[in-house]
Amino acid sequence: MIGIQYVVTTIFFFLAAGLLAMLMRAELARPGMQFVGNQVFNELFSVHAALMIFLFIIPAFAGLGNFVIPLMIGAPDMAFPRLNALSFWLLPMAGLMMLSSFFVPGFGCGWTGYAPLCSTHQELGAVFFNMGVQWAGASSIMTALNFLVTIITMRAPGMTFWRMPLLVWANFTTSLLVVIATPFIAGSQFMTMFDHVMHTNFFNYEAHGYVLGYQHIFWFYSHPAVYIMMLPGFGIASEVISTFARKPIFGYRLMALSLMAILVLGFSVWAHHMFVSGMAPWLRVPMMVTSVVIAVPTGIKVFSWLATLWEGKLSFRTPMLFALGFVSMFVIGGLSGIYLAAVPIDIDVSDTYFVVAHIHYVLFGGSLFTIFAGIYYWFPKMTGRMYNEQLGKLHFWLTFIGFNATFFPMHYLGIQGMPRRVSDYAPRFADLNFFISIASFFLGASTLVFLYNMIVSWARGEPAPANPWRAMTIEWQVSSPPPVFNFDEVPQVVGGPYEYGVPGARHAVFGDRVAEEEEVRSR
Amino acid sequence: MSVEAGHAAHPPVAHQSSRVDARTLGMFLFIASEVMLFGSFFTAYFFVRVVNHQPWPPSPFHLPVFVAFVNTCILVTSSFTMHWALQSIKRGNRAGMQAGLTLTFLMGVTFLLTQLLEYARIGFTPHDQAFGTIFFCLTGLHGAHVFVGLTILAAMTTRAFRGHFSPEAHNGVEIGGIYWHFVDVMWIVVFTTVYIL
Ligand SMILES: [Cu+2]
Repeated sequence: MIGIQYVVTTIFFFLAAGLLAMLMRAELARPGMQFVGNQVFNELFSVHAALMIFLFIIPAFAGLGNFVIPLMIGAPDMAFPRLNALSFWLLPMAGLMMLSSFFVPGFGCGWTGYAPLCSTHQELGAVFFNMGVQWAGASSIMTALNFLVTIITMRAPGMTFWRMPLLVWANFTTSLLVVIATPFIAGSQFMTMFDHVMHTNFFNYEAHGYVLGYQHIFWFYSHPAVYIMMLPGFGIASEVISTFARKPIFGYRLMALSLMAILVLGFSVWAHHMFVSGMAPWLRVPMMVTSVVIAVPTGIKVFSWLATLWEGKLSFRTPMLFALGFVSMFVIGGLSGIYLAAVPIDIDVSDTYFVVAHIHYVLFGGSLFTIFAGIYYWFPKMTGRMYNEQLGKLHFWLTFIGFNATFFPMHYLGIQGMPRRVSDYAPRFADLNFFISIASFFLGASTLVFLYNMIVSWARGEPAPANPWRAMTIEWQVSSPPPVFNFDEVPQVVGGPYEYGVPGARHAVFGDRVAEEEEVRSR
Repeated sequence: MSVEAGHAAHPPVAHQSSRVDARTLGMFLFIASEVMLFGSFFTAYFFVRVVNHQPWPPSPFHLPVFVAFVNTCILVTSSFTMHWALQSIKRGNRAGMQAGLTLTFLMGVTFLLTQLLEYARIGFTPHDQAFGTIFFCLTGLHGAHVFVGLTILAAMTTRAFRGHFSPEAHNGVEIGGIYWHFVDVMWIVVFTTVYIL
């Protein structure tokens, strides 16, 4: 099953990128230079971000979706299985490309690859990054196309759009974003690469190129990319929270519509990354306003999760813990995001650790927590075995504490003016940085619990029942693991996906049972 | 795998939940992402020409508008022959389809060769200011798409001569044709913005 291959591969890159982060924290444990030089430090944070974003978060969601979405909509497979295999195999290529950039004169201009620093003034490693992004981008476009066609043309009878689980909605929206936005980063990487390799003049000031153009084109993808890395997580959180609160999602339709609103608004905010870039000043305020407006649909989602939890019969299994951790951490990340959207604050804390803290609350506390929630939630379905609940909970608490201890102090460091992406710092930041480094090693060690749990449980965990969580969506109505082609027969969808606590409600039924129930009704 | 014996040899037939054919939809989505790729290069064009106020073309360079116009006519005509090929096979006219596809292919090759000749004699290179860069990258990106289209056309034409496709099953011609029309329409946009405006 390609979905599982995806998840395993991306976890490999997650570990690699995590190790790079720990090397960085080792260097930053004390002021002055310790282990690595400036250039190597630059390479560490550049490749750390590139791997986490392009080789872990985006494809990890694609992998989970690959496994779950056909099951959820009652399709035997993705629409184009061979295309699916191709988009998987592009990933290891992209990842190896990024990792091997260390061995040529490396890639050290940050994952944003700004021109002209990363075009005319860079070493060969930058080209490795350019190409790695192209492969990963092509992979994600093909996967998105596959998701869209699958969701549109292969839904089970009765599965109307308003009966689709929110994870399917989330991946539908994300895939639209990918198809529309990802070509822009492809374009931007072609341009910097051409400027570098063929000495063209896209971003060459002397030859009348438009230097800021790179940032505009890049962020026109990379802001929507934030939602590419977030919306599937929203979907996972909705599934998990509804199941473990035993309640229907509050405002299901509004949840789906707010995804669409985020999709549209997401294209109108890119220049909030460029407030200090020297771009046209009149662009600042409109971009600030649209950025703040996005908080509305996002807030709708947060309140809807809270309302779903309200008076629910909560069961705190590991997926639920991670989903709740996600909601709380994402609120912090979202709030610091609103701060950053405000032009004056952004100008003050631009390029400081405040930004580092914000991005990690969004991508670690947000995306990564939902990826963990998703992995634990569907682990029984994927492997046919149960994971160890105690170890899962231990993993959650270690991660939650380690994460906050590592990244929360960074807000303070940033406000105090400590710049990001620098290997050395003023002695007055020393104590806090030492604390952060210790916390980050603690956080790194917590991953070992996860790995141990996954490997041992996959090998010798208890066999999983078909529906350990008593969930209603279709993937839980087949055996664990599912049959080779997901179903022996395509199910019939008869109701909404989250009718928990509604007497007699069903989401989907299988052939013989359809006849049975009709008989019952006719009597 | 805990699959019980007796099933799983064949996948169950997926329910067709939309009237749109999956491969046609896939092609349209692919084209949408291609349009956006062109969009990123047009954005670069916009920055250089509109935001930076660069003369287009800057002296002493000239754009061979007439040659490009003739080339445009060839490509537009090839879209019509493509359409003719599809209509022919829908009506069961195999010879018409074969002729239509062959003509389309030949016109595509002519277009690409003319463009290469134009590149050789145009008098500036991709290094000549941002203008040269944008000119070569926009037309070159389009040329790459013509090349891909020609590859698809070659496969379609070969299949047509081997007896594939019928009035009932002409999806291959239809989907390849959609791509070819896209390449054609994209050229009209490139031609207008780069040569005419
Ligand atoms: Cu943004």
